[in-house]
Amino acid sequence: MNTANHISPDDLYLFALQLLPDAAMKDAATHLKECAVCRAQLGEIQGDLVTYALIAELHTPPSQARERLLRQVAEEKKVIPADPVEQHIEPILYPRNSRMFQMDAPEEREPRRFAPVMAWAGWSIAACLAVVAGMQVDQRKTVQQDLAVATAQLSQNAEQSEHAKQVVQTLSDASAMQVALHVPLNAGAVPKLDPEAHATYQPNTGALVFVADHLDPLQPQKTYELWLLPAQAGQAPIPAGLFKPDANGNATVVMPPLPKGVTAKGFGVTVENDGGSKTPTAPIVLAGM
Amino acid sequence: MNSGMNESTGVARPTPEDDGELLARVLRGDERAMAVLFDRYSKIVYSVSLRVLRDTASAEDVMQEIFMQIWRNPSSFVSTKGSLGGWLAVVARNRSIDTLRRKRPSEQVEEMNLASACNLADEAERSILMERARAAVKLLPTEQRKTLEMAFFDGLTHSEIAEMTGDPLGTVKTRIRSALLTLRKAFQA
Repeated sequence: MNTANHISPDDLYLFALQLLPDAAMKDAATHLKECAVCRAQLGEIQGDLVTYALIAELHTPPSQARERLLRQVAEEKKVIPADPVEQHIEPILYPRNSRMFQMDAPEEREPRRFAPVMAWAGWSIAACLAVVAGMQVDQRKTVQQDLAVATAQLSQNAEQSEHAKQVVQTLSDASAMQVALHVPLNAGAVPKLDPEAHATYQPNTGALVFVADHLDPLQPQKTYELWLLPAQAGQAPIPAGLFKPDANGNATVVMPPLPKGVTAKGFGVTVENDGGSKTPTAPIVLAGM
Repeated sequence: MNSGMNESTGVARPTPEDDGELLARVLRGDERAMAVLFDRYSKIVYSVSLRVLRDTASAEDVMQEIFMQIWRNPSSFVSTKGSLGGWLAVVARNRSIDTLRRKRPSEQVEEMNLASACNLADEAERSILMERARAAVKLLPTEQRKTLEMAFFDGLTHSEIAEMTGDPLGTVKTRIRSALLTLRKAFQA
C-alpha cells in the first residue's frame, strides 16, 4: 500500500471514503498520525468529498426531527462547572495594642482567610453533586420507563407472533379436522346466498380457526355463537366463540379458548343474545359434522 | 422553524465565526445553540444521509445521531478542522455508509482536517458551489461518474465495484481518484 513510506494516492482516496479493508484502514490511520504529508493530502481529498456531497438533492427533514433532537438534548443536559468567584475577604483589624493582635493574630489569620473560601467551595461541590445526582435519577427513571415500554411491546409482539404461529400450524396441519358448515335442511327458507362456514380444528391443542361468509345480518342485541359438538356421547356442546358478521356477511373466530384433547364430531352455529349462552338456542343456523 | 434558512440550499447565512461561537455555546450547554445549528445544517445532513440510505426514517436517525454527537462532544469538531458544514456533510455520508454496512462508526475518518476553500456556511457561496459541483460531475466521463457514485453514495468497495462492472481493481481506484481530482480542478479553475 505504501509508496516510499507514504500511502499511495489511490489508497488515500479509498481511506477517505472508508472503503479500504479493515486492516488497511488501521495501517493507514497509524501512518497518518505520523505523516504530515499524507495528512495534508487527506485534507485535500476530504475537501473534494465535501464538494461531491453537494450534488445530493436537498430534502427537508421531517418536521418532528427538530423536536426530537431538542428533546434528547434537553434530556442530556450538561452540567457546567461554575466559574470560580473571587472571594474578597475583609481583613479583621484589631487595635495594634490589643491582646488579640499580640497573641492570637498570627494563628487566627490563616484560618479566617481560607475558611469562607473552603466553605463556599464545599457548598459549590455539594450543589454540583446534587444537580448531577438529580439528573442521573431523572435519566434512570426515563431509561426505566423506556425499558418497561419496550419490554411490554416485546412481550406483546411475542404473544402475537405465537398466536399467528398457532393459526398457521392449525391451518397447515394435515391431521386437523376440516368441517364445512351449511344451512341445515330443516332450517327453513333458503336465503339468496347460502350462509356457509369452514372450521379447521386441531383437537390435541384445541386450536380452532373458523371462517364464515354470506351470513344473515343479526337483529339488535343478538350475536352468533359457535359451538363445538363433542364426539363423546352425552357431552354438552362447548361454546367456541361469539361473532358478528361484517357488512358483507363475513366473520371469523380465530383461536378461541377451548379445552385441549376434545374430539369433535362437528360444529354448529346458533343465534344468541348478546353475551352468548351456556347452551345452544334452537334453531341451529349452520351445522357441519 | 428554519428562520434564516435558504429554502433552495438548506443552509442559513452564518459566518464561520458564527459556527465557532455556536460550538462554544454548545460546549457551555446552551441548548438554543443546538437549535440554531440544527436549523442551519439539518437539511444538508439529512439530504446526504437520505441519498445514501434511501430511507427517511434511517436518514433521520443518522441525522439525530450526528447532532447529538455535536451536543455531547462539540470538541470533536474544532474550527481548525475546516468548515462545520463540510464536516457534517462528510460525516453524514460516512455514518450512513456505516449504517448500510451495520458497522460501528469509523472514528478515524471523522478526524479530518478539511482542506476546503468552500465556505458552506455562506448561503450565496454554497448555492454557487452546488451548481458548480453538479455541472462538474455531469462533465465527468460516464465510467468515472458511475464509479464515484457507487463508491461515495452506495458505499461499495473498489473490489465490489470491480466485481460488478468487470473492470480491473486498479482501474476502479484510478477512476475514483481521477474523478475527484477533476472535480477539484474544476473548482480551482
